[in-house]
Amino acid sequence: MVEAKNLVKIFGKGASVFRALDDVNFQVRVGECFGLLGPNGAGKSTFIGMTYGSVKKTSGQVTVFGLDPQSESRSIKKRLGVVTQENALDESLTVLENMMLYSAFMGVPRDQRRRRIEDLLEYMNIAHKRDALIQTLSGGMKRRLVFVRALLGQPELLILDEPTTGLDPAVRHLLWGKVKELRSSGTTIILTTHYMHEAEVLCDRLAILNKGKIVAEGSPQKMISDHSPGYVGIFKSEDGAKVRSLVKETTTHVHEDSSGVYLRVPTLEKMTSLVADHSLNPAQIRPSNLEDVFLQLTGQELSVDA
Amino acid sequence: MRNISFDSIFEFARLCVHISRRNWTVYKKDLIANISPTVADPALVMISLGLGLGAFITNVEGKTYMEFLAPGLTVATALFTSFFESSYGFYVRMTFENVFKAMLTTPIGVSEVVAGELVWVGLKGAFMAIGVAIVLAVCGLMTNPWLIPLIGTVGFLVALPCGAMGLISTALVNNMNQFQSVYSFVIAPLYFLSGIFFPIDQMNQYVRIVAEFFPLIHGVRLAQAIFWERAIVDTYVASGSVLVIQSFIFCTLSFFLIRKKLVT
Ligand SMILES: Nc1ncnc2c1ncn2[C@@H]1O[C@H](COP(=O)(O)OP(=O)(O)OP(=O)(O)O)[C@@H](O)[C@H]1O
Ligand SMILES: [Mg+2]
Repeated sequence: MVEAKNLVKIFGKGASVFRALDDVNFQVRVGECFGLLGPNGAGKSTFIGMTYGSVKKTSGQVTVFGLDPQSESRSIKKRLGVVTQENALDESLTVLENMMLYSAFMGVPRDQRRRRIEDLLEYMNIAHKRDALIQTLSGGMKRRLVFVRALLGQPELLILDEPTTGLDPAVRHLLWGKVKELRSSGTTIILTTHYMHEAEVLCDRLAILNKGKIVAEGSPQKMISDHSPGYVGIFKSEDGAKVRSLVKETTTHVHEDSSGVYLRVPTLEKMTSLVADHSLNPAQIRPSNLEDVFLQLTGQELSVDA
Repeated sequence: MRNISFDSIFEFARLCVHISRRNWTVYKKDLIANISPTVADPALVMISLGLGLGAFITNVEGKTYMEFLAPGLTVATALFTSFFESSYGFYVRMTFENVFKAMLTTPIGVSEVVAGELVWVGLKGAFMAIGVAIVLAVCGLMTNPWLIPLIGTVGFLVALPCGAMGLISTALVNNMNQFQSVYSFVIAPLYFLSGIFFPIDQMNQYVRIVAEFFPLIHGVRLAQAIFWERAIVDTYVASGSVLVIQSFIFCTLSFFLIRKKLVT
């Protein structure tokens, strides 16, 4: 459905060139929810802009529905819904006016516009705000409205660029529910997010982008077992020195942040015996998750491998 | 390149209309505030210059100073209404509200954004010029009020390239303050040096030659011809065709510059 082959994007000229995407290859299959993860500035939004022709590629190939976004963007955009990273709602218009305008842009037949908008506002629980000005909406309401806007054209492909950033847990769960429903009704979805849990909950497959390069790809489970198998113990900083010395004697991984020192070992037995042998005091022991993979692969883990 | 077919032209026109309609929806929300400066400014000029200064100037090309000023004011209205909308107005929507980022995810492309904007400012310029002309005609400053609809064509032909100049400056400025320089060095000189306030022929040669490259002076010639019923057809052929050519050049240039801003 979406395919990138040796895709390169270079911003700027001369001395200030910047490779935002550097030889990127991947495929999004029909009907799946594909997650694109990566730290700030990794190139996620740049890739998304390329799928509908707002960002021009430097070299390589990208196709959406088998079409080239640079020459056939209009045909692509008719079948696409995008939740942009910025809400970009028209502040001078009311909720309803905004949606009427966009349904006209999407070519929704005139006699169906109002119905479709009302249904979607209802679906996203913001029907009561239909006549409000955009400025008077909360962040969560604006985000839900952007979802409505993206769904007006009944898209085959829905692209979500950090759809839940800055939202409270209730709104986030509401949106997750909607994304799952859309996916089970056959919509293909591309999602970028900084919440690893969100990616684990929603995505069938993921790619991690770091500094413009894909550093891992696969299902969340496969990524964890490939790159960060085992269990993670989180220790208070008092145990820090002890834990760090363990790295030298065992094949474990360690990283550290303000919440404590993280130690990863391949099995739970290994973890419990380490804890017992060195009389450590773990705050938590848990199976390793996508966040561990992410930190490791994007080079934000402090020290790796003994 | 996109295939040019009947369907795609129809789709293009449909999308442009929706963009223009969006601007109309916003505009009519604050109708009084939006219309009043475009009517108040010419009224102010009429009172201060026409009545005040006019007391000392009794004969300009055989007319009172009031009569002389009148046609140019319709053109000035078209200039200001279009330039401000497509400079400050467009800049805010592009930079602060990111409106076009979202629009460009729909079948709207940069060509529709630019064309929709220009059609809107053109129409607005036409209606504003007509509005001002009606007031002036009521004051007895137009020899034949039946020609007022023609002033609409002048308003359109001036507003279109001036709106494109607004878009061009939007694409070139680095921040909103710099519009002030555009105003001081381009728009205000055009306003004062395009034959609205004194006869074009008596202007400094070099200044006039520079002014010929911009739309205002041609609009003024056309409006004067209509107001004074003087060689209307000939002036349409001469000045009208220049305006059409300038519109084409400025609009095309604005499209390429805005595209650079919206597609990276
Ligand atoms: N128009 C541009 N000109 C120059 N550089 C740009 C432009 N747009 C993006 N970049 C650069 O490209 C890089 C990738 O940006 P992008 O917005 O794709 O990152 P992202 O993965 O979406 O990050 P975030 O998670 O913060 O949204 C950044 O370093 C950014 O500064
Ligand atoms: Mg981004």
